[in-house]
Amino acid sequence: MDSQIIEVLNVTRETAWLPWAVSYFFLIGLSYGSFMLTLPYFVFGRAQHEKLGRLALLGALACGLTAPVALLADLHGPGRFLNFYLHFQPQSWMSWGSFFIPVYLGGLLLYAWLALRGDFALRGQGGDSLPARLYRLAGCGGAASRRAISAAALLTLVGAVLVALYTGMEVMVVHARPLWNTPFLPVQFAATAFVGAIGLALLFNRLVGDRDAELETVLNRLLVLALAVVLTLGGGWLFVSMSGVSPAHSAAFNQVAGMPQWQLTAVWAVLATVLPMALALWRPASSGLITGLIAVHSAWMMRWTIFIGGQSIPKTGAGLYDYHLPLGADGLLGIVGTLGLWIALLLLLLEYLPWAGAAFAAANKTNALAANAIASH
Amino acid sequence: MIQSRRNFLRALPAITAGAALAPAPAIASAPGEDGGKHRWAMVVDVQKCIGCQACTVSCIMENAVPENSFRTIVSTYEVHQGGHSGTYMLPRLCNHCDQPPCIPVCPVGATFQRKDGVVVVDGDRCVGCAYCVQACPYDARFINHETGKADKCTFCAQRVDAGLLPACVETCVGGARIFGDLNDPNSKIRHLVDQNKMKVLKPEMGTQPHVFYLGLDERFQGRVDGAGTLWQPSGHGA
Repeated sequence: MDSQIIEVLNVTRETAWLPWAVSYFFLIGLSYGSFMLTLPYFVFGRAQHEKLGRLALLGALACGLTAPVALLADLHGPGRFLNFYLHFQPQSWMSWGSFFIPVYLGGLLLYAWLALRGDFALRGQGGDSLPARLYRLAGCGGAASRRAISAAALLTLVGAVLVALYTGMEVMVVHARPLWNTPFLPVQFAATAFVGAIGLALLFNRLVGDRDAELETVLNRLLVLALAVVLTLGGGWLFVSMSGVSPAHSAAFNQVAGMPQWQLTAVWAVLATVLPMALALWRPASSGLITGLIAVHSAWMMRWTIFIGGQSIPKTGAGLYDYHLPLGADGLLGIVGTLGLWIALLLLLLEYLPWAGAAFAAANKTNALAANAIASH
Repeated sequence: MIQSRRNFLRALPAITAGAALAPAPAIASAPGEDGGKHRWAMVVDVQKCIGCQACTVSCIMENAVPENSFRTIVSTYEVHQGGHSGTYMLPRLCNHCDQPPCIPVCPVGATFQRKDGVVVVDGDRCVGCAYCVQACPYDARFINHETGKADKCTFCAQRVDAGLLPACVETCVGGARIFGDLNDPNSKIRHLVDQNKMKVLKPEMGTQPHVFYLGLDERFQGRVDGAGTLWQPSGHGA
């Protein structure tokens, strides 16, 4: 017999993983994605990718250094992070993550230092001021050997893969939330992280770099590829969900398929993938600002939808929990604050890190030393 | 008539004092950690619940649960079926599962199961990461705004260890909540579980809950398929 049920009274469980978590997953994804983009130049010595390598290194550092701050803020008491290291729990992905993050970030800092050692030495040339001496100290006599850079890159790569693995698995293993409990999720996180990283590089090329049309074309082509992967994954998710091949995916699909707000989200996600693809193909040399913005937005929205949207689905109750973004630290202020920290870090890096090398300062004759140093490895 | 009522009222303090001094009814044996001697569990007789929320209130009072947070609540539903309308009450709390999914995810080992089956949180160790909140299939956990740490029903472990009943059981007007030791062959709960067809919430999750429901309608066993709640707490957070 048909029945209609109206929930009159029940508890609304608040979102427990706050926008801080979205910020962390977003930034760490952008960071490891950007790190991968640095490899062609700094490790494989492809000179034509120098600008990309240097801009991406900037992105990897700014995002990588900001991400853990957002993560700590989500703990409702930052000093508590010590307990992660005092009470290791091998059965918990989050516990493993607390060890993977320092591996990745430690590796990234070491890699960035070695990759830019020649540039540090160069900036320290001439003069006996304190900054010059500090730069000379950081330069350690000149460019690092390619072997050293490659070893640091390998360590960072291992860290990046482990971070990508744990961030995906940590969410995927939550059986209580069908939307999260899908084997596709970790791969989707990684794929959208690369989309975001390419988007960030496109934006940096316009806003930090010298609007290199050639680089914009390369990045837009790469973006099309990455978006094609995201689209394929989305199609695969839909196929295994609707065909019944995977009960876990069907459970996820069935939980949200009938809800108008989730249908809108799906349309939004498809548009945010197809639109930049079309733009990047149509105007690869001039659409970078827009495609970059949409790509970064896609990476953020994917995580927002998974975390905040996922938590608004009650596990036992009817309907959906209402989520209204709080204006304070648990909401908007937290997001804006994280963005502010990211911008501040970026400005510091731009000002004090010899990130640009010779690539963006061709007029500067003294950069010949750096060019030689780079050419030697 | 009036005289007899006065006599009754006069006698009330004596009756209530006597009740307060009487030994705790359900838990006769030694409390606390006991090497697995006890296995505390609860039976909820849904048909006896009148939805008065006395359990909800007593739990808040006993455990100092912050405003807008609940360790237990009686979910209340309006059901229309075949031209008839009715109200359905479903007391919810932590299920103190035998396979609690909240425990393995904890990154610092702060949440654990006592030998008597009660799932608790070590507040000193908890980092407030809320991973356990996500992992619980019953929405039974939350982050306490005052402590910033995971919070949940403990079967009122502090009372149980002292030989008392959980507050929600003590105050249940209709006697819908029956608490006791499953390992005691003479306990009421053991008899109830043995002699009735019990149901648990979300059995497909494989968590082996130890809150059993008597007379539970299947439509309410998992996520309820219906229109969303008409009342939501407002305050901190989302």
